[in-house]
Amino acid sequence: MADEPEPPVAQQTVEEPLDLIRLSLDERIYVKMRSDRELRGRLHAYDQHLNMIMGDVEETVTTVEIDEETYEEIYKSTKRNIPMLFVRGDGVILVSPPMRTGT
Amino acid sequence: EENTAYMPSPNIHSLSAPVLMSRKQTPSEFLKKIIGRPVVVKLNSGVDYRGVLACLDGYMNIALEQTEEYVNGQLKNKYGDAFIRGNNVLYISTTKRRG
Repeated sequence: MADEPEPPVAQQTVEEPLDLIRLSLDERIYVKMRSDRELRGRLHAYDQHLNMIMGDVEETVTTVEIDEETYEEIYKSTKRNIPMLFVRGDGVILVSPPMRTGT
Repeated sequence: EENTAYMPSPNIHSLSAPVLMSRKQTPSEFLKKIIGRPVVVKLNSGVDYRGVLACLDGYMNIALEQTEEYVNGQLKNKYGDAFIRGNNVLYISTTKRRG
């Protein structure tokens, strides 16, 4: 059973995931990163590594403290604003349009 | 020999026939076949993402639609569209979508 080479049908309507990020250029996006960080800002540029240039960014860093006596989990988040930011791609986990309700 | 004509079927929610695994197929063939199906993507960190597979590439970068994020089995977030960087992916699995 030889593998027959498939004739190249012009069906390349499937874009790759990076093409879908291209649709978000100049739009506001949400980025989930390692180390419990999240970014919300405007995507100006990106590359195949997911290095990104983002403007007007709000970074949220979330930490969990455990109370030694009650063992309750205390979630704290710290935010800061950054006018223009270069994000190194290897820290990126997920990219999405900002949370919208409905649709 | 089935002709792998590409036919996305995003409206099929439950598929009675599982993806054929009875003959040898390369991982890339599997990845082409599951496009359009509901999948579970598990990350190295243990977080689960459930959604419809829109597309993916050779680095396992994934684009999902109607995504739900589960941490420790609990639904934490929903994303309309989500792009997941491939290096974080532990596995991609098909699933019957729970309504």
